Amino acid sequence: MSILLNNRTRLMIQGLGNEGQNQIRRSLDYGTRVVAGVHPGFRGGDSFSHANHSFPVFPTVAEAVEQTQANCSIIYVPAPGAADAILENIAAEIPLIVCITEGVPVHDMIRVRTALAGSKSRLIGPNCPGIIQPASNCRVGIHPPDVFMPGNVGVVSRSGTLVYEAVDQLTRAGIGQSTCVGVGGDPIIGEQQQAILRRFNSDPDTDAVVLIGEIGGLAEQAAAAYIKRSMNKPVVAFIAGATAPAGRRMGHAGAIIEGEAGTAEAKIAALEAAGAVISRSPAEIGSTMRRVLEEAGKYQPPGAAE
Amino acid sequence: MNIHEYQAKQLFKARGVPVPDGGAATTEREARELLKEHGPDVVIKAQVHAGGRGKGRVVKRDRASRTYNDLRRDPERHEGQIVGRRRGGVRLASGVEEALKEFRPLMDKDSRLVSVQTGADGVTISAVLIEKQTSIVREYYFSIQVDGANGQPLIVASAEGGQSIEEVNRTNPGAVLRVPVDPVEGFPAFRGRSLANQLGLPSSAIRQAGDMFANLYRVFSEMDASLVEVNPFVLTSEGAVMAIDGKVGLDDNASFRHGGYEAWRDRSQENPTEIEAEEANIGSYIKLDGNIGCVVNGAGLAMATMDTLKLHGGEPANFLDIGTVNRKDRVVEALRIIVNDPDVKTIFINIFGGLARVDIVAEGVVDAVNELNIQQPLVVRLNGSNVEEGRRVLHDSGIAVETADELGDAAALAVEAANSGRRRSRSNN
Repeated sequence: MSILLNNRTRLMIQGLGNEGQNQIRRSLDYGTRVVAGVHPGFRGGDSFSHANHSFPVFPTVAEAVEQTQANCSIIYVPAPGAADAILENIAAEIPLIVCITEGVPVHDMIRVRTALAGSKSRLIGPNCPGIIQPASNCRVGIHPPDVFMPGNVGVVSRSGTLVYEAVDQLTRAGIGQSTCVGVGGDPIIGEQQQAILRRFNSDPDTDAVVLIGEIGGLAEQAAAAYIKRSMNKPVVAFIAGATAPAGRRMGHAGAIIEGEAGTAEAKIAALEAAGAVISRSPAEIGSTMRRVLEEAGKYQPPGAAE
Repeated sequence: MNIHEYQAKQLFKARGVPVPDGGAATTEREARELLKEHGPDVVIKAQVHAGGRGKGRVVKRDRASRTYNDLRRDPERHEGQIVGRRRGGVRLASGVEEALKEFRPLMDKDSRLVSVQTGADGVTISAVLIEKQTSIVREYYFSIQVDGANGQPLIVASAEGGQSIEEVNRTNPGAVLRVPVDPVEGFPAFRGRSLANQLGLPSSAIRQAGDMFANLYRVFSEMDASLVEVNPFVLTSEGAVMAIDGKVGLDDNASFRHGGYEAWRDRSQENPTEIEAEEANIGSYIKLDGNIGCVVNGAGLAMATMDTLKLHGGEPANFLDIGTVNRKDRVVEALRIIVNDPDVKTIFINIFGGLARVDIVAEGVVDAVNELNIQQPLVVRLNGSNVEEGRRVLHDSGIAVETADELGDAAALAVEAANSGRRRSRSNN
């Protein structure tokens, strides 16, 4: 069942505002098992219903976990309260926390990372699209479900919309996905690309990985070092921002060229030297992966159901 | 968000970090007061957000572009001449009259400071910092930034200050100290004293330097800063330490805790179109040099869109991440800003809906075409959430747009339209 999620995932949603409600409806429609909501003073009362689905809503994470054995949490709480929500999940020992929220202060994330160290929790995000696993109908995020298709390629990206872009190309090229993880665009996040690559590397359901990075920081160099050292599956990589001007922050808090190491060229060179196949154009991620899979004898045409 | 040096020094001073006596002036009267109080020997520093001030030049507006091109060709051209020839953004002077002679051209409304980082128009000078000169024995470097990989603050320090730390790191990496900060402990004075000792400061200055470092860490944490940099702090001939420069970057995401950072913000240092974009709340906008106006959702896709245009031989006129669009009037506002940019010859809309809904974007595009007098060709690529409805909205409206389903095809269309220099046709037929 690939990485992070599986058919035993019991999802809890924290932050049932309008957007949280819209998104959890789409996850329910996708077939994701949602067992609890957490929203102090929730206007809808003590439960949330959509179509023929329903789950109880609690004022605290601790109570939700106790009552429902939720083991994965998705956070839509607005930025000023997002770090507090993550800390609440860490305190409740939720194994997997996914935080979608954009605009979390970096000093808050310093506190979160300190709390994560030595805890029982893993964090994906913040400022990310979340995780989706087509084969288990598990959508823990904000993805447009239609472009995804079950298959054997993993996707890890800092950018959310580039996950969709890459997956759309993969699906059009007849390549399905095992799990797609958006790690988030902020300077401080939970698991970074390298950690996700490690998970894919030991995942029997993943035969190859698309890695999408961007300018700024050193995360792609760390990923390259891991690929060189340990990766035994092909990696196709694209780095966004090759044409971005230096010194300007490109939307993502992480996306600013602060020195030589932060440039797309430096990252591409590191990944290429580590053996990753580079897609120079973001429009060629799908076709590049198709070629790589065929060369490796791992291309699986879409199933008989198609 | 960046703030001015004089503001950084106010933050320093309020927390016990020693800075030279002085203050900021915008008028000759204020300058005269400061000169009387802190003269006769003073440093005069133009206050701008752009970097490269020391190696830049202060010129009349109509010479800005020529100076910029000169500097771009040879960034070191004016190094070492600045102070002596009184042309740059940092000047020395003795006595009130001489100092005012230096002050006046800086605050002249026709003056622009041009450096390799300002762009061809240069920037206006917001204020002039006038400070007592310091007698310097040695220059050091100190900064606190966020180390994303480790999720901790990182202190970088060097006994080779007063120059580019990147350059020191390249030529003499052993001279650059890196001290990770345990965020629970913070950076207490004893850690500061240990760092001061490692930097080779004399024993008599170690207590004061340790306090200075600890207090700079307070600035970092109390202000929600993303960067605190002092290059250089110095050892004076009296044996004291002092921060003679100061740079502070504030985390925009934390502005809700600090009244929007309004007291520290200087809009005159920002690009007017970027301010307009911010006030219209259309997302993250950055003006660039090309002629293809871009409207994209998501920072990563917006960068990738720019990259794709370049690969097809095009040049983006802007970066724009409109974020999650769930209101069509935001699309109209975004297009209003793009359309009014005189550099824009073609508009490229690339939306991959996740949280954002593509049909709402399409309705916004139709409204914009009807409300705004759009002369430029419009290339639209839609995908993701509610894409079928979105494409139908565009089709049924009958507005003249060129569309493509895939990113590469759409980018090629946009580049072709921009290079052909044609105008938008009036209808689909």
